[in-house]
Amino acid sequence: MLKKTFSTSDDITLKLKILAEEKESTRRKLVITAKRLAVIAREKEITRRKLAVTARELKRLHATLEKKVLERTRDLAQITSKNEAILASIGDGLVVVDKEGKISYINKSFEEMLGWKAHEIIGKSMVEVVPREDIYGTGVSFKERILTQVLAGQKFVADLTNPFYYIRKNKSRFPTSSIVAPVILNKKIVGAVEVFRDITKEKEIDKAKTEFVSLASHQLRTPLSTVNWYSEMLLTGDVGEVTPEQRKYLEEIYNGNQRMVDLVNTLLDVSRIEMGTFVVESKTTNIVKLAQSVIAEQNPQIVEKKIKLLTSFESNVPLIQSDPKLLRMIIQNLLSNAVKYTPEKGCVRISVSLDDKKSVLLKVADNGYGIPKNQQNKIFTKLFRADNVIGKDTEGTGLGLYIAKSIVEQAGGKLWFESVENKSTTFYATLPLRKTK
Amino acid sequence: MCYSEQMTNITPQKKTVLIIEDERPLVQVIQTKLEKTGFDVVTARTVDQGLQYMEDIGNIDAVWLDHYLLGEKTGLDFVAKMKSAGSKWARIPIFVVSNTASSTNMQSYLRLGVNLYSIKAEHRLDEIANDIKLFLAKPDEK
Repeated sequence: MLKKTFSTSDDITLKLKILAEEKESTRRKLVITAKRLAVIAREKEITRRKLAVTARELKRLHATLEKKVLERTRDLAQITSKNEAILASIGDGLVVVDKEGKISYINKSFEEMLGWKAHEIIGKSMVEVVPREDIYGTGVSFKERILTQVLAGQKFVADLTNPFYYIRKNKSRFPTSSIVAPVILNKKIVGAVEVFRDITKEKEIDKAKTEFVSLASHQLRTPLSTVNWYSEMLLTGDVGEVTPEQRKYLEEIYNGNQRMVDLVNTLLDVSRIEMGTFVVESKTTNIVKLAQSVIAEQNPQIVEKKIKLLTSFESNVPLIQSDPKLLRMIIQNLLSNAVKYTPEKGCVRISVSLDDKKSVLLKVADNGYGIPKNQQNKIFTKLFRADNVIGKDTEGTGLGLYIAKSIVEQAGGKLWFESVENKSTTFYATLPLRKTK
Repeated sequence: MCYSEQMTNITPQKKTVLIIEDERPLVQVIQTKLEKTGFDVVTARTVDQGLQYMEDIGNIDAVWLDHYLLGEKTGLDFVAKMKSAGSKWARIPIFVVSNTASSTNMQSYLRLGVNLYSIKAEHRLDEIANDIKLFLAKPDEK
């Protein structure tokens, strides 16, 4: 019994001891956990503080950004309205079209010049809204419109040489000069921009100038006629004999005056071409006969310079519908140039052949002084004379080829040349059998 | 009339040309040339003066006419009067010699029925005088 009691008391002690140890262990663990928690809490506090800083920073950045966006938007708006103001205020008419030729923008000058308001025509075809006519009042077709050509991929077309008219909303018209350029984005044509100007004033000035030349030329002819006829009377002996010495002087007066008459006539031709008053009287014309008569007329000069003249007139050349008076001027100009600008004993060839079924080809070739390469692009310019002939021949006016080209083109043909200085020059003129336009 | 008879008496074989031209030096040289060519010459400087001579002198065979003349009227007015319906001068040949070479003018003259249109500066006096002489020599003309 005692033994048993003893043993029970030992058990309790042991158990208590174990219990105490377990508690101690738990307490220690708790302490460790508490420490860890304290560390975590510290870390969290740091993070919280950092987040607070970041949030403040973000808030500040946001505010700045918002301010910047606002400023930028204001700037952009300003730039846009400035650009719009610039476009709108351009003194020339401006139209932007998309790749289908539909109007996407017009400026104020466009509205003023053509009488259309933007809202009436945006999205409509420019070519249809604003018809275009040539100087004679013939409408320019859709295909021929520069705008159409530019949209189809033509690189750039400046339309300054051919005067044309734009038709306003109220059907009246005004002379215009325009430049059309494609709008290219990522190497593709996305539309075109056209800038045009009302050239009424320029045309008036030009006309006044030409009329002045015409009037002056008429006035000049009267005293020229007096000198002409008085010296003629002296030379023919109608008012008494003159000595051989006096005759020589009179002949110089007469010839000099004759040159002046020719010059005035040439100026008159130029003014007629430019005023569009050259009356064209087309009739059935034999160009070969005409060429032969011009050759006969210029034979004295050909013989004097001992020039060898070769002719080739094909037998199948048909009669053409043309103004013989004007056609004659073309042949005269080309042949007299060939003779004038070829040294003595040179060679001149003139030929007429059927070019194709629609036109006749006139060819005048020589082995004379030629046209210097760097001046070839100016040879048809009014009053231009190449450097290499200015010293050699004093009679040229620089108007012959200008006149010839105007007449050929007016007749619906083409005039061009090939030349190598000091070697040869060949002028070619094609003339339609009947005028197409 | 008396004047005309007198002239006919003096030079019965000569034909008379009326020159209507306003430029004095030209009138003088044309007159000399035509006289040398064998014509009698009367000169006027305005359309009205020309028409007056046509009436007064009566035996004018041909007219040398310029376009621009002294006064408002031009050669066209003269031709219109000469060629008007019922005019006794409708068959008298008219030679226009002018420096006004506008095609419209030339067309108008030819339509009205003038016989020749020459540009002064482009012809010798010889040529024009000769043309007139040849024209008047044709038996069926006048």
